[in-house]
Amino acid sequence: MSLLQIEELEKSFKIGRNEEKILKSVDLELEEGRITALVGTSGSGKSTLLTIAAGLQQSSGGIIKFSDKDLTNMSSSQMRDVRAKEFGFVFQHAHLVPFLSVKDQLNLMIDTAELKWSKKEKQQRIQDILETVDMWKHRDSDPDQLSGGEKQRVAIARAIIHEPKLLFADEPTASLDSKRSVEVMELIRSLSIERNITVLMVTHDEDMLVYADRTVEMKDGKIEK
Amino acid sequence: MKMAWKEMMKYKTRYLILGSIIFLISFLTLIISGLANGLSFDNASLVKNMPEGTYYMESKAEEQYNFSEISDSQRETIENSHGDAVFMSIQMGELEDEDGQKHGITYVTATDNEFFPDVEKGELILDESIQEDGIEAGDELSTNLMDDSFTVRDFAKQEKFSHSAVAFIHPDDFMNMYQSEKYQLAFTEDEEEDIDEMSAFNQNQFLNTIPSYSAEMLSLNMIIAFLFVISGMLFAIFFYMINVQKLGTYGILKAVGVKTITLLRLMWVQMILITLISLVIAISLSQLITLVLPEEMPYQLALETSAIMAAGFFIIGFIGATLSGVQISKVEPMEAINQGGA
Ligand SMILES: Nc1ncnc2c1ncn2[C@@H]1O[C@H](COP(=O)(O)OP(=O)(O)OP(=O)(O)O)[C@@H](O)[C@H]1O
Ligand SMILES: [Mg+2]
Repeated sequence: MSLLQIEELEKSFKIGRNEEKILKSVDLELEEGRITALVGTSGSGKSTLLTIAAGLQQSSGGIIKFSDKDLTNMSSSQMRDVRAKEFGFVFQHAHLVPFLSVKDQLNLMIDTAELKWSKKEKQQRIQDILETVDMWKHRDSDPDQLSGGEKQRVAIARAIIHEPKLLFADEPTASLDSKRSVEVMELIRSLSIERNITVLMVTHDEDMLVYADRTVEMKDGKIEK
Repeated sequence: MKMAWKEMMKYKTRYLILGSIIFLISFLTLIISGLANGLSFDNASLVKNMPEGTYYMESKAEEQYNFSEISDSQRETIENSHGDAVFMSIQMGELEDEDGQKHGITYVTATDNEFFPDVEKGELILDESIQEDGIEAGDELSTNLMDDSFTVRDFAKQEKFSHSAVAFIHPDDFMNMYQSEKYQLAFTEDEEEDIDEMSAFNQNQFLNTIPSYSAEMLSLNMIIAFLFVISGMLFAIFFYMINVQKLGTYGILKAVGVKTITLLRLMWVQMILITLISLVIAISLSQLITLVLPEEMPYQLALETSAIMAAGFFIIGFIGATLSGVQISKVEPMEAINQGGA
């Protein structure tokens, strides 16, 4: 069964006076519980596709269905609700909340997803996930005290702490060394298997493709068949 | 709430600067209105210290009290319906001290009443500000309108008219100097009433008959109004700017699904905290400043006035914060992140 269905998705940006088509009729289906890797040259529109699918910006046309709900027809507050409860997103650049400590980034996500966990359970889950990404010792640091790779690991923890159905990850391992990259990918895969999380992941790293169930390639605003 | 506080703690300098600006603007507004109020009070404290009530003068005088003469029959009419009526006269004049130095003052005389000090014939009670000219109790002051001179008996607090010190004198002396048996004005604490050939004024209307008062008030009110409007706009702009500057952060919060109302609450809490602290300091300082201002500088700032201004600033700051909140709620998360560059 497919969890996310993208049909004829289009996106144009105004660049100066011109409209430039960045996505040209993209079709893509994500099978529930599977990991899909999205590859393609720089500027081919991978990040744009990911952010539109995750409801972070509007498309110019086309349909996105998430378990039978049409995301393109949703009000911004309905979309917000889906993002908070069902989606996790790892940005190409970590994009942590600059004034919250590592622990509070996760607390915020738990609260935003309106999870009714007890205080103790919250603490336990935060500790578990931070230990998994090896950031527990930095739990009280602010983002400006972390290296790029450390920030990215916190961002990954934030994207999965609330157990989303669908995880979008834009080059999650780009700022990590190869040992950490493997760890993070194993983490994503084991989470995907254990908790039936569907993953759409952009990567430039060929070595990471072994963790994906399927690889699709973008070229010039289209998915190569 | 917790988030608002954490953000302020993280960016202490930024919020300290914002707070200082809010403080300086509101302090300036308060000080200027204190000085303006002081000036207007100084113009006519004689009248402003009287209770609310009605002033009557002859209609023929065309609102110029020194042309008014209340006839005996008019006086009777007024006394019949207002037992408490006080009759009074005011004249600009001057007094010469023993060194030949002249001092501009305003003579005020009245029938027995509870508002002005009692004076005997040949005596003067002067506004205390004249002490700065070196005049002391017991001094002999003369006038070319009368052969005998006056003895200064005492000083009164805040009794000025048209910016000059009031000299309370006995009615007999006044009649003697100005060759008139009649008073110019009647004052009662009762509501105004129609009396033949008399015009009635409430306190404010009467103040406006003082030459210089209305023109001065107009300028002062204009200054305060402009100051308030401009500082209000600055207020709104600063709260707007600080929020727009955080667009990237708001984009991230929106991206993870934080509700718009939560973002608005964050802005409101910060705005209220900063405004509250800045205003409390500004109001306290604007009250304490009387301790260091020189005596001759008239300054008057009622707490009530300060409170009204503070409320105005709050509303404006709230509008500024809300406007930026509404704007932020409209942009897509990705757009906010890209524009904000966070
Ligand atoms: N907000 C925007 N305004 C204008 N143009 C944009 C905007 N966002 C993306 N683009 C353009 O769309 C194209 C695709 O960008 P996108 O970030 O999706 O590429 P990408 O495949 O993720 O590349 P990379 O591998 O380098 O991350 C680029 O040419 C980019 O300049
Ligand atoms: Mg990209």
